[in-house]
Formats: sequence, structure tokens, C-alpha cells
Amino acid sequence: MSMNRIAYTAFVAFCAVIATLWAVSVLVAENRETDDDRRLITQQELAANDSLESCWKAIDGKVYDVTEYIPRHPTSEDVMLEWCGRDATEGWYNKTPGRPHSARAASMLEQYLIGELADAPAPTAQPEEPAPAPDPAAHPQGRVLLGLSPGTYLDGRYRGMFSDRGAIQVNIQFDLRDHHFHNVRFRYLSYRDVDYLALEEHEELYAVMRQHRQIVEYLEGRPLSAMFDLYAPENVVDDIDGFTGATLRGNKLISAIRDALNRGVYQWP
Amino acid sequence: MFRRIRTGDIVIAVLVLLPLVIAWPGSRLLPGAGAGAVLGAWGQLAGVLGLSALLVGAMLSVRLPGLDRWFGGLPRIWTLHRMLGFSAFLLIMLHVVLLALGALPVSPEMAATVLFPPLDDGAVWIGWGALVLMVIFLAPTFQFFGRPHYQRWKRLHLLSVPAFLLAFMHVVMLVEHAALWWALVIPALGAVLWRKVLSPRLGRHDYTVEAVTALASNVVEITLAPRGRPMTYEAGQFMYLTPHDPDLKAGRGEEHPYTIASAPGEDALRVGIKALGDASRALQTVTPGTAVQIEGPYGQFFERREPQRRQLWFGGGVGITPFVSGARTLKREPGSGPDVTLIYLANRPERAYYMEELREIAQGHPHFDAQIHYFQERGPVDEAFIRSHCPDLEEREIYICGPPGMVDHLMGLLTRAGISRGRIHTEAFDFL
Repeated sequence: MSMNRIAYTAFVAFCAVIATLWAVSVLVAENRETDDDRRLITQQELAANDSLESCWKAIDGKVYDVTEYIPRHPTSEDVMLEWCGRDATEGWYNKTPGRPHSARAASMLEQYLIGELADAPAPTAQPEEPAPAPDPAAHPQGRVLLGLSPGTYLDGRYRGMFSDRGAIQVNIQFDLRDHHFHNVRFRYLSYRDVDYLALEEHEELYAVMRQHRQIVEYLEGRPLSAMFDLYAPENVVDDIDGFTGATLRGNKLISAIRDALNRGVYQWP
Repeated sequence: MFRRIRTGDIVIAVLVLLPLVIAWPGSRLLPGAGAGAVLGAWGQLAGVLGLSALLVGAMLSVRLPGLDRWFGGLPRIWTLHRMLGFSAFLLIMLHVVLLALGALPVSPEMAATVLFPPLDDGAVWIGWGALVLMVIFLAPTFQFFGRPHYQRWKRLHLLSVPAFLLAFMHVVMLVEHAALWWALVIPALGAVLWRKVLSPRLGRHDYTVEAVTALASNVVEITLAPRGRPMTYEAGQFMYLTPHDPDLKAGRGEEHPYTIASAPGEDALRVGIKALGDASRALQTVTPGTAVQIEGPYGQFFERREPQRRQLWFGGGVGITPFVSGARTLKREPGSGPDVTLIYLANRPERAYYMEELREIAQGHPHFDAQIHYFQERGPVDEAFIRSHCPDLEEREIYICGPPGMVDHLMGLLTRAGISRGRIHTEAFDFL
């Protein structure tokens, strides 16, 4: 067979393989939509697997048993071990600061999927009215503020932002499952040219950053309407200090979250 | 053509394989990694090898006179260039398929995501861009849809530059150490820059058309006089000629290869041109006094490993031209050198152009003999005819130049007669 014939034949075969792979993926995806019953794994179970002998990690609400992979990871064992037994989403999206792992790495990761993280430990108070609740007389109820009936917001990943005076201040991401927040995290947080996510622990403004992290922790596992608790951040954050009045603006976060909801689902679960 | 390894071949092999050798240790081809990971790793390596073949192939387009000797002549470089492009095309398709198959054990969706990730995964989409451009410029090269128009093909082939630049970007975005890729892409870009931009201004010799002599219908010999620095060459070489005659019907300002018919050291440069395409047909009536530019010389048709061995030449059609150059060279050096027998394979007497001059040279030269074989009289040439003029066939170095059918016929005949393939020399001129 001449070179020309081989090149042509190989090209036709290539197109056929690519088309087949694509078609199979579409067909399989349709088939799978119905049977999504992964094992639920609790926080305690996750936390128990935190060693080289058994290393589980939660990333974006999914739990992976990566024990076998640790010796093959390009870095030293410590780097991976640091994230064992806990939520490793942050490490996953920051292979180097700000740079996530590749699609190829993502494909490898999926091999180790063992289940889904059960909701974060339930808060002690009733989730609908976390204590201390904001004065109901001062603000309308969260459900009223949303102005929507349950089921309006579909499950999935949402991203949204708050910008003011030409600058982005907040960029937030969260997963919504049955109108509850999960995996809330900041993609960007800045005010007056300070990148809060890049702050070191010793820096003055780090405290503000810590407060924002507490807000995120507060929202984790709570219903959507809990966002309106942020109108009074002092009820949510426990180490209020001098900076709070100047920089901790819960309403910016509310704005960013509502922006995310308006934009609709960013990525299907 | 590839019976001997040349210096240039080793350089090519080193350049093509170097990135692979460097990428290998990081490729996770470890035991127990699972079929998916191994396929993925092979897929990466196929991509590495494919890009280095693409870049080295681009380097070979530089066409510097003299440099082609490292590779056994320019036609052999074109063959290498073609083989590298072919390999790159196959390897890059393999790269894509293997990476997708590598993700298949996870799920078919993951395989599809590896192929078609979200749009913000720029590196992968840039890679796709490179592959699409490759398909566009290689489809006519490999004649997916029949034989292309030469000039259109040549222009389209320039898409190889954005193609290899995109492929380079794709890799640079994904690897940690890109220095080696820079070291390959810069010479590749330099080669194309020289060929397409610099050499038309710096690498050409200026000549004037002095005379156009008709040798037969559709065949002329054009005599060229240098206007500046003349080109030095050897018998049997060829060059690229760019005519600037404003009255030409086709091919004005285009370069095409033609074989030199004159002997080195002659004042004028002569080329035998047969009307085989639009440009060479138009040259049959080129106006004397107009300007041409030539670039070269290239090839090493008469390269000899054993200069004292007797020779047998087979010329047919316009393929007689390098032997005319050889005979004219013998004429200038009478009494020296080994015996040479030329067998001219022509269809009929009217097509045996140059034969009269070749006979004259043979009469005046003790070591040169010229014989003619007419297809119309005797059919295809056979071993008996050859042996009747050249009984010591096995002792000679054999040179063949002519249309592909003639070359194939002679190759078969000589091989059956027990001639070692290493003794037979040809330079193919066909569109590869």
C-alpha cells in the first residue's frame, strides 16, 4: 500500500474512532442518568482514612480512595498525605497556586471514586433558623426574599460574583443539592487591590480573610435561605474585631450568591 | 534510495528521538499502572514523537545548496521530508486516539471529555486546531482527492507553519520544561523563513536567457548567460529556475526544478526543458533577453563510491539531460576517466533529441560510447540488447534517469540479471 493510501486509510479510521468514542459517551451518559446511587460516606468515615495505609479524600463532594496512587504521584508522599482524611478540594484546584490539576489527572482521579460525601455534620440548631437568628421583624423571611417556590433552583454547581466600582471583589462557587449549600469556596476575594486569598497568616488583613472562611463554613450544608443570615455577619462569624465593620460585608456575598443563582447551573452534578 | 545511511540521516534521527528520550522517564510507563494509564502514557509519547517529526520535517524544507549532499541529494531530502510528515500525521492521530482510549476504563464520558474538554481548556483545543490544519494541508499532499494542482498545493502547504506553531503551543502549555521544544521550533521556523522569504532575495543567481533551441516538439534547450556571480555545479545536478519574462503564459515568477545539460566550466548554463506542465510548456517560447533567476545546484546524481569503475548510463525522454551534461563534461576532458557506455532509450528517431551531439562526442572520445534503442522498433529494452553493447554489465556502476515506467522496467530487468541494487543509481523527479 502506498504512503498516500495508508495516510488516507488512517485518517478515515481516526475519524471513525473519534466519532465512535463520542457517540458511545453520549449514549452511556443518557443511560446513566437514572441510576446514580453512590455510597454515602460520612465525615467521620472520611476522617478515619487519613494515612498512607488508607488515604481517602473528598473533592467537590466526592470521596476518592487514593491509597494506591500515592507512590505514583509526581511529588513526595507528604504532599498528598497532607490532604488525606479531609476535604482536599482546595489542594486539587491549586496544584500550584491558582492552577488546577489537568483533565488527564481528573480522568485518573475518577478511577479511585468510592462514594459521595454525606452532608456536612448537621448544625446543632434547626437548619431553617440557625441561632442566633437575625431579628425576623427587621428583615423579611429568607423564603420570601428568594421569592421562589422550592424546586426552582436545580441541583448543580453555581458560580457568581460581586463587583463594584469596576472591580471584582467576590467570586464564589458552591454546589446546590436539594436547596442546600455544599462545597462553598471563594474563587476570588479582593478589596482595594488586596488579594485576600493570597494573604499569609502573619499579615494584618488575614483576620478578615479568616472571617470570610468562617462564613463559608457556616453556609456549608445549610439551606439556601441561610444566606440571608449574612446580612448580620456578627451572628455568623465568631471572631469579630476592629476590621469587621470596614471590610466584612456579608451583603457582598449575598449579592454574589444571588448572581450565581441568576446565572443558573454552571456545571451539572 | 535508503540502502546507505547518510550523515544527515543520523542528525535527523537524533533530533527526532531526543524529545522522546527526555519525555520517557516522566511518562509513567510503570508496571501495575493499569491498561488505561499505559495507553495514556503511550499516547503522550506518540504526541512527543509526532511533534518532533513535524518540526524536523519543517527544518528539511530549507533547501540549502550543498547541504543536500549530507542526505544523498535533494530528491532524497524530499523523500525524508515526506516520510517525516507522514509519520507525524499518523503519530498525532495515534496520540489523540490513545489518550482517549486511556480514559475509557474510567468511563466513556471521561474519554469524550479528554477529547473534547470544556472550552477553557485552551491547550487541548489549540492541539485540535493544529490537527485540523494538518489535515487541510496534508489532504492534497497525500492526494486524498486526486492529484493536486502544483502551485495551489504549494501555497496550501504553507499552512504547515501555523500547524506546527499551534502544535508547539499545545505542548508548551502542557510541559514543564519547554527549552527543548524552543530549540526545535526556532530552526524549523528559520528554515521556512529562509526558503520563503530570504532565499528569493539572497540565495538566487541572476541570468539572462541567451537562446532557446528547439530539440524536438515540446522539448527545448535554453541557454542562460550569467549577469552576476555564476553558479558553480557538477555534471548531473539540477537547479530551480524562476523566469521573469512578462510575456510568459504561465509560471512567471514561479520556481520549478530543471536539470542542467551543460558541462561545468562552460561559459553558458544550458538546461533541457520538456513541456510536462503549464510552467514548462510556457518556457518553450520564453523570450530571449529576458531575466531569469536560478537557485542551486542540488542533487548528486553522479556521486561515485568507486570512481574508477566503468559506468553504464540509461537515459530516456528528458531524463537524457543529466547524461548530456555528463557527456559534455567528458568531451572537455578527453582521454581521462573510466569507460562509459550510454544507452539512450527513445521511442522513435524524432524523439531522440541530443543523439547527434552524443554520437559526435562518442566518436571523438576513446572511453565514451553512445547507443540508441528505439521502442517502436524493438519494444521494451531487454537484457540481450544491453549485453550486446555492454557485455561487462555486472562490472559497472549503473545510472538511470527517465520516466517512472522506464526506471521500473530497468530496475526489474537489472535485478533479475543479478545486478546488486547498490550499483544502481537513480534520482526520481516525480511529484512525490
